[in-house]
Amino acid sequence: MGHVSIPSDELCKGVISTARTVPYVRASRRRGTVKRLLAHGGGRTGLIIVAAFVLVAVLAPVIAPYAPDEVDLDSWLIPPGFGSGHLLGTDQLGRDILSRIIYGSRVSILVGLTTILISSVVGIGLGMLAGYYGGALDRVLARFTELLLAFPYLIFVIAIMSVIGPGFWNLVWALSFKGWVEFYRLARALTMSEKNREYVDAARALGRSDGVILVREILPNISNSMLVLGTLRMGNMIMTESSLSFLGLGIPPRIPAWGSMIADGRRYMLGAWWVATLPGIALALLVLGMNLLGEGLRDVLDPKMMEG
Amino acid sequence: MKSRTILTTLIIAMILAFGFLSTTTGQTRKQLSVVIDTDSTRADEAQAIAHNLRAIGVSADVRIWEWNALKERIQAGERQMYLTAWGSAYFDPFDIIVPKFYSGDRGNYSGYSNARFDAALDRALRAVDNDARREAYFDAQQILYDDAPAIFGYSLMEVEAARSDVLNWQPSMDSRVNLHDVGLARGDTIVVGLYADKILTLDPAAYRDRPTETVIRNMFDALVTRTWDGKVVPEIAEAWKAVSDTEYLFRIRRGIKFHNGDLLDADDVVFTFDRVLREGAMGGRTSPRKGLLGPVEKVEKVDQYTVRFVLSSPFPVLPQALVHFQIVPRKYVERVGDEAFARKPVGCGPFKYVEGQFDDKIVMERFDDYYGGSPSIPPVGPARVKRAIFRMMPDPTVRVAAVKTGEVHIIQSVPSHMAAALVRDKNIQVKSVEGTRVYMVEMNCRRPPFDDPRVRRAMNYAVDWDAILRTVYAGNATRLATAFLPSGFGFNQSIVPYKYDPARAKALLAEAGYSTK
Amino acid sequence: MIRLSRTQAKIVERILATIPLALGVAVAAFIFMRAIPGDPVDIMMGEAAWTSEEEMAALRGEMGLDEPMHVQLWTYLKQVFKWDLGYSIVRSRPVADIIREALPATIELAVFAMLFALAVGIPIGVASALNPNSFMDRVGTCLSLVGVSLPAFWLGIVGILIFSMILGWLPTSGRIAYGAQPAHVTGLLVLDALITGNLPALGNALKHICLPMITLGLGVAAVVARVTRSSMLDVLSADYVQFARAKGVPERDVTCRHALRNAMIPTVTLVGLQFGSLLGGNMIVETIFGWPGLGRVVVDAIFARDYPVVQASVMVYALTFVLINLVADIIHTVLDPKISL
Repeated sequence: MGHVSIPSDELCKGVISTARTVPYVRASRRRGTVKRLLAHGGGRTGLIIVAAFVLVAVLAPVIAPYAPDEVDLDSWLIPPGFGSGHLLGTDQLGRDILSRIIYGSRVSILVGLTTILISSVVGIGLGMLAGYYGGALDRVLARFTELLLAFPYLIFVIAIMSVIGPGFWNLVWALSFKGWVEFYRLARALTMSEKNREYVDAARALGRSDGVILVREILPNISNSMLVLGTLRMGNMIMTESSLSFLGLGIPPRIPAWGSMIADGRRYMLGAWWVATLPGIALALLVLGMNLLGEGLRDVLDPKMMEG
Repeated sequence: MKSRTILTTLIIAMILAFGFLSTTTGQTRKQLSVVIDTDSTRADEAQAIAHNLRAIGVSADVRIWEWNALKERIQAGERQMYLTAWGSAYFDPFDIIVPKFYSGDRGNYSGYSNARFDAALDRALRAVDNDARREAYFDAQQILYDDAPAIFGYSLMEVEAARSDVLNWQPSMDSRVNLHDVGLARGDTIVVGLYADKILTLDPAAYRDRPTETVIRNMFDALVTRTWDGKVVPEIAEAWKAVSDTEYLFRIRRGIKFHNGDLLDADDVVFTFDRVLREGAMGGRTSPRKGLLGPVEKVEKVDQYTVRFVLSSPFPVLPQALVHFQIVPRKYVERVGDEAFARKPVGCGPFKYVEGQFDDKIVMERFDDYYGGSPSIPPVGPARVKRAIFRMMPDPTVRVAAVKTGEVHIIQSVPSHMAAALVRDKNIQVKSVEGTRVYMVEMNCRRPPFDDPRVRRAMNYAVDWDAILRTVYAGNATRLATAFLPSGFGFNQSIVPYKYDPARAKALLAEAGYSTK
Repeated sequence: MIRLSRTQAKIVERILATIPLALGVAVAAFIFMRAIPGDPVDIMMGEAAWTSEEEMAALRGEMGLDEPMHVQLWTYLKQVFKWDLGYSIVRSRPVADIIREALPATIELAVFAMLFALAVGIPIGVASALNPNSFMDRVGTCLSLVGVSLPAFWLGIVGILIFSMILGWLPTSGRIAYGAQPAHVTGLLVLDALITGNLPALGNALKHICLPMITLGLGVAAVVARVTRSSMLDVLSADYVQFARAKGVPERDVTCRHALRNAMIPTVTLVGLQFGSLLGGNMIVETIFGWPGLGRVVVDAIFARDYPVVQASVMVYALTFVLINLVADIIHTVLDPKISL
């Protein structure tokens, strides 16, 4: 989709070693993680940015000065400034850009969260099965994912969007369609290395079933890596949504989304730069926050990085 | 325990809230709820319309689709209200009102059907006498206005821009870029930034889109052509006359040369039309342009410089139609074959093809032996510039940037809100002409709620077009009373567009049994 | 009998494995395109009067679009085996011609975007890794993260407004000015200009490719920088590098000879994967810059439901994607002999 992503294999390389060296410990360690994340410069910045956006999204109805879809054709394309009552100006339909950005954070975060949730559930599930059992299932899935990667994504998206029609959930499905592959690949690789380790052998010796071993033993040990991948991929999903809007395949316009705001405002770049640029900055900031948080998490969860 | 109490309270509160809401709005009348469908290009307009509808108490929402996927659903009758447009090429309601509103015709997306209306159109199509045709179209206009199968909209001004050193430049209503007539104060190569992503072909019989035609018409000429404002004038044909309602004679100018030196005569004309009309005539393939010739049955040679058009039924717009059929050289096409012809086209127009790539640019050079073109559109003679280049520039901002930097001389299709920025530039001239596309919001007349003309009329009163056209289209639009174009034949000026009148809209809705705000 | 080494055999096997993949992709494209609503003939006929259902049905019949789906698929597969890509519905010319014309432009843009990404990303990544958590590192991090988060269409327009319209340094769009084209050798203009020694053409082509290259490559540059930084950090803390340091090898040699070479391994994999996305993901950049490449052809063909063009282009994409990844894997083995294909 014109956007690039850090391939999972590379990105979580450091994390794979985490899983190998650090056995799974319960909540106490998690609390330590947050503390150490706050001590980590980039991670702290990322956490603050993301938390701020989440707060804005939750409080949108309280802090937004206008309704996000309030059309007012008499006050269109007002430039940003203090005099007009529209701090960040208005768009081509006279809607308040600040309010739209505030409400847009809801959509963007929601799109990011749900696509990641769906992708990770599917990807981790299949990845663990393939990695644990191998064999025919693994081979079939390998071919299938290869096909998915080699197939131009756009055709998928147009097909999905036009067969089932435009809408928020349809967009989420379209984005998740390929999004799970990265989770699948990483989960598979991690499971393959985990399944031969002592604690798994011990569980097997105790007579635990495969299901229990996968869910109770292996899953907790690979979940850190998945968390990191998730945060890093989330920004990417939000970006892709904006590209789909460029092609006219985004979500319904009454819900303000940054992607479609940028795509629509692009047409006014010559006379009214703010319409596309301000939501662009918001998008860049959130993606930046997500990535900083993700990288911070990775550094914190990887003991080697702590030493360095 | 505590959380359960909170939960219970919440549920009770919600039930109460719902009850409260339903008692305030839930009178015996039902609320009208519509989904407005559009492709992304008109999303702003659709939202403004939805805003207008919400203001009178209609629950309105907008969906954005990929156009061709949406079209299929509209044709299946699955959608309610949709933003559509239809272009006219013949300056006659024949190719816009008939396909759009005649019962069951190809472009009739609203499912509108009225026997009286169809009868009026039939009269207009069969009559040859202009007064009778005009009268029939007037009748049709009034019926259409009253039935309101669509929220009637507007036509957009076609804004084009050129560098100020381009001389004698005038945009055309049929979006022709006439490079024969223009000159350059400096230099000898003129570059046009075409709004299209690509052109389809260089074979005049193998396409149906405007951009391709724009390029082809600089290399090929037709029997007749148009002035910029839509009047048909002779080009290759010297003169023509209707022998009867269904028979026309065209006399061809002598001494016209094709780019390869062959002389043009009746055989080439007959060959050109045979290629379009006969199945499989293009090397086994059939031309997609056949339908554009309407009831033309065959074209025959009378003598070396006269041809006869034989029609199966009267077709008063024939001269308008023939503007779009460029004459090809018979001997050359027969010798090299159709595929090679499309790769290396030879015509008799003011420019000859040099090279090009359909997604990139098409380069052509002046044809020095040109016969001069239509005597009704001076100057007559070879083209004034030596070379002409069409460049594909699909992005409007880029087109505007390119004409500002001087990279291209002429650009088409300037978005309304960018025109202002260009007008201020001293190096640029901006001109606009009346457009030939009608934009409207069609309603599905086959299903409730829009099977009720009162509701459809209410919708027409509810939309504040003046405000929408002033802002979304920066005032570069003409409000229309129906889908008839002012530039087309038989336009009735005395019908005034539906006024913006929310009170009237509400009254009509209430009459039809819907709640209002 | 030709005897192949183990590596060669592996390569042959991988190349052969692309055949079922290409077929699978072709079938998938076939099914997906048919699932999208819309009729190519109706679209092609545009808005006009007097276009009868019979006329359209006749055209559909001529193009074989009225056959049952499985018959169409079978005909298509037979064609593919005969190395025939079919005939475009809308453009009335052979699909092979269209692809031959558009592919070089797309490859050229992708290669340049990748070169740009490497030239910018690797130095930033290495510099950040050498001084982790320094000011330089922070700036690099921020720059590269911002690079990933700017939508290409916004970046492209801003680039044109600044560098073409205001500063007048670069052309707004297109691939090369008329009259400056070098003689046709490969279709890659910059390469052709170099081969024929045509310096004005080289300059002109480079000027034209500059903005699209940056727009397309900036995001990749950011990713390259991130990956280079993290793998470089890993390598620098690895035992053999510590050992080399302990032995007293100069720091510069440690960085360049030992660390960089090993740190490049993930970057190479990344290049392989990203190259695919550059090839398949540049339709937006191509549209903005009027770049006559395959991406635009495909998008246009999807919207026009030009089935043969979409199917063929998708196959070309898939094959290129697989082959480039194969090349990346081969480079991998060269960089690190421990890894086998």
